[in-house]
Amino acid sequence: MNSIELQNISVSYRLVRERPHSFQEFVINYIKGKRTETWTLWALWDISLTITKGESLGIIGSNGAGKSTLLKVISGVLKPMEGRVRVEGTIASLIELGAGFDPELTGRENIYLHAAILGFSKKEIDAAYQSIIEFSELQDFIGTPLKNYSSGMVARLGFSIATEVHPQILIIDEVLAVGDAHFNKKSKERIEQFREKGVTILFVSHNMEDISYLCDRVVWLTNGKIQAIGTPEKVIADYLSVSAT
Amino acid sequence: MSDLLEFRELYKYRELLRNLVSRDIKKRYKRSVLGFLWVMLDPLLIMLIFYIVFSGFFKSTIQNYATYVISGLIMWQLFSQGTQVSALAFMTNRNLINKVHLPISIFPLSVVISSLAHFIFSLVPLFAIIFFSGTTLSYDLIFLPFVVILIFIFSLGISLTISTLAVFFHDIIYIYDVLLLAWMYLSAIFYPISIVPEKFSYFVFFNPVYHYISLFRAFLYDTSIPKTEHVLLGSLFAFLSLAVGLLIYRKFRHKIIFYL
Repeated sequence: MNSIELQNISVSYRLVRERPHSFQEFVINYIKGKRTETWTLWALWDISLTITKGESLGIIGSNGAGKSTLLKVISGVLKPMEGRVRVEGTIASLIELGAGFDPELTGRENIYLHAAILGFSKKEIDAAYQSIIEFSELQDFIGTPLKNYSSGMVARLGFSIATEVHPQILIIDEVLAVGDAHFNKKSKERIEQFREKGVTILFVSHNMEDISYLCDRVVWLTNGKIQAIGTPEKVIADYLSVSAT
Repeated sequence: MSDLLEFRELYKYRELLRNLVSRDIKKRYKRSVLGFLWVMLDPLLIMLIFYIVFSGFFKSTIQNYATYVISGLIMWQLFSQGTQVSALAFMTNRNLINKVHLPISIFPLSVVISSLAHFIFSLVPLFAIIFFSGTTLSYDLIFLPFVVILIFIFSLGISLTISTLAVFFHDIIYIYDVLLLAWMYLSAIFYPISIVPEKFSYFVFFNPVYHYISLFRAFLYDTSIPKTEHVLLGSLFAFLSLAVGLLIYRKFRHKIIFYL
């Protein structure tokens, strides 16, 4: 059974050398007959990919290769210009530090806010609330505003929320290396459990150890295209040999 | 088809909507000493200023001047605060929009709902003024929610329009700020409509907010304001605004993320 199917996906960003920042500039440029100079950058070009249910797929590549764009297409943040996306199952994204939190609100309020951002209902959050706090080990700080948390504590809370709500697809974009060693170990164990339970995992990282440890299959992206796809050993070895030169 | 999907998504994300609105209300007064009391003090104090400055001019032409001013004022604030804040709705949430899949119209929508919540709280000072000034309430009081729904729909349409366009042209934010100031003076908040010169009366006639404010007053207390015209024009403007807002939002929805 497939949980994600991508067919000929292309995404382009329109980059502008001199974008008119104001209406005035736009009008002046228009009257002068000066069209803004743009060029199109294809962040993803004709990507076809099938991810089966329960698979953990690693995505590697240099900066700007299209890794994050690919995750955005799968999670539905971006609508691709071309191609079809089919996703089956609920998605939870481990999003970057802070994006789904409000520093003025307490830990408790942030749990509700963050889980709601991930699309969960009040009932689902209520049910998971206790175990979120337990896993994050933030019992003593749950009534404190988030601005008084350390960044490691915020990351722990974020990880606990995204993984406690039982997603069917988990998207992790380079956020594992947060928190202390103790929590790091705990979070890897949890991801390991997810794999056993058959959760589909998409994992972007520059840490090849993590990738080979966690993933069944690896996709290597270069300039928005799939350079190679296959077992972690093979693809990572090829990737490293190219990057080394 | 895709519109239906957006509605379904908004319903799915209703817990987020609730969270965004309650966060807005909590945060706005969290750091102040009087806290939540400001929701009620604010319109009261502004009304007092208008009263002190203008009551000498208009007291003889407008009955129940204090009630007239505060009722116009809180209706105006419902509209202006909601639309002004929502101009920035997509830009202030760019982090989230870039990272998580959401029905993004939830951001302008939540701002307008917050504004509606504030309006409901400011009914307390309104009725306090009515009570202390001895204004006679109208028998049509039960129709008030109808007026509020109309101005809400109207505000939502404007919000969708402004917040979407502001992503592509930031100037809209500043233009709208100035426009709001002019708009306020054309909304007959503290003066009677009879003082508007004939040649400017078109401005007032085509000012939707004026119709909502007048209708609100007409249903609230005993006045001689006729209702039919305001009901018809108010409804027309509300649905026109929402239609334009939805049209613009739909057209640019998927482009917004590339310009944030």
